[in-house]
Amino acid sequence: MSVPQAPSRSPMKTDQLFVNLGPQHPSTHGVLRVGLTIEGELIVKAEPDIGYLHRGTEKLCEIRTYPQCIVLSDRWDYCSAMTNNLAYCLAVERLLGVRAPERADALRVVHCELNRIASHLILVGTYGIDIGAFTPFLYAFREREMILDLFEMSSGARLTYNYIRLGGVMRDVTKEFAEKTREFLAYFKPRIDEYDELLSYNPIFLDRTKGVGALSAKRAVEWGLSGPNLRASGVAYDVRKWEPQCGYEKYPFKIVLGKNGDCFDRYHCRVREMREAVKIIEAALDGLPEGPVMAKVPKVVKPAPGEAYAHVEGARGDLGIYAVSDGTACPYRLHVRAPSFVNLAILQELFVGQKLADAIAILGSFDIVLGEVDR
Amino acid sequence: MSIEEVIARLFSKFPASEKSAAPVKDYATIQLRSREDLLPVLSLLKEQGFAYLDMLSAVDWKGPVLMEGYVREMNPNALQPGGAAARPAPAPAPGFAYRDEMTAVYLLSNLPDRLKVFLKVDFPRSDAVLPSAVGLFKSADWQEREAYDLFGIAFEGHPNLKKILTAQFLEGHPLRKDYAHVRDRFDA
Repeated sequence: MSVPQAPSRSPMKTDQLFVNLGPQHPSTHGVLRVGLTIEGELIVKAEPDIGYLHRGTEKLCEIRTYPQCIVLSDRWDYCSAMTNNLAYCLAVERLLGVRAPERADALRVVHCELNRIASHLILVGTYGIDIGAFTPFLYAFREREMILDLFEMSSGARLTYNYIRLGGVMRDVTKEFAEKTREFLAYFKPRIDEYDELLSYNPIFLDRTKGVGALSAKRAVEWGLSGPNLRASGVAYDVRKWEPQCGYEKYPFKIVLGKNGDCFDRYHCRVREMREAVKIIEAALDGLPEGPVMAKVPKVVKPAPGEAYAHVEGARGDLGIYAVSDGTACPYRLHVRAPSFVNLAILQELFVGQKLADAIAILGSFDIVLGEVDR
Repeated sequence: MSIEEVIARLFSKFPASEKSAAPVKDYATIQLRSREDLLPVLSLLKEQGFAYLDMLSAVDWKGPVLMEGYVREMNPNALQPGGAAARPAPAPAPGFAYRDEMTAVYLLSNLPDRLKVFLKVDFPRSDAVLPSAVGLFKSADWQEREAYDLFGIAFEGHPNLKKILTAQFLEGHPLRKDYAHVRDRFDA
């Protein structure tokens, strides 16, 4: 007697249901709204809705002077404001034809990589919460607090630093900063293994993330993903290797790659990237050259008319700044190629066919910051 | 493959296009003659490995910006009693590279060969229509919606061309230089 084959989808007819995910839901990491049409547990249609945090910084830049715009750049990706400062300053320095001194370059690298660790720690912590593990959050934020203390020591601020300036950095770091940073790195290195033990190889966490939301390399490139999201699919695109600036070519580090491009790979790429960042900071501190931290930049910055593009590897991907100068003290046009904004676009396609609970796991693994998405 | 070979191949197929007179510093920049060339050039570049659309944006050349486009006056003098006196609006003078045109800027990357190329195409402001690149690059989807929202460029063939960043009630396209802000209930 043949056993009747169970249909893959339940024959029970269910009505479609519209679910608003966000904009004030903790798992959307800010003010993102996703309009989900679900059929039972399955998502049939997803419409991400952004713009709740739109402050029009590109418009605001047009009436602010070049140094004033650095302050605005802090507010794009507020979890890694150092890389925003860097991208903006590099673009304007290209317009000006100015290069930062070597010591400033090394300090920029130290601060950007520390900020990368701080930003990835947020992902490790909050992604755990999204999936249902609360403890890693407390561990990650304990370490992040130490990095913020270091930044407070060098820049005076804990979130919006305005530390990297046109032609260099705001001020030199003290001896104490270098000592404390080394102390922190020595403390932090074994902690990364701790995260792996606590979260990465936790069987429940693996069940929720392995094979969920997998992206092929071709699809990831097509959608313009960048940063750890792209590298998780096995595409070795890292601006620090591709177009090294600030002396990144001097430091020994590997491009961290994933295989399957699923949620676990996206998450674990970031954990492994923290190890590489530690290596870069150590090398930069060891070879920290003496000298000035500021190049000669005119008091009133008025670049010659022209256009420039500079991009850096931010914590969330390829952050590019396209700047047009008309010879006045304010940028004529400033465009921000925000990695989170471009990364987020794929969700409308990736969510379809997933279960509602997996949608939270996928969204969390993309590590978006809505300040950067909406600008 | 070097960037020179790519450009030479492109110029042989599209003789009207040329190296841009206003290039982006340190990058190869190609100026297209007309917007009809845009999709064929994009697909030609895609065939040559430029499968990654990095950035898509635009510049409006009808500057300088109108101050009515901003909610607040620039540099209000907080020390004066009663705030700063309203400054007279500057006499309208044509700004940098003034013309009644906009330029769309595309940045394409060839990831295996480590190449980047900028494409520029000019079009009149009153007839801001471009063919959509969504069929070739999915990442154009939201970036075109952004350009539509902020610049008012209509991308023909875009599957879902609607506002993305600004509020639903906001009228006009804020990054156009002649945008004037209409006071709403959120202005103090």
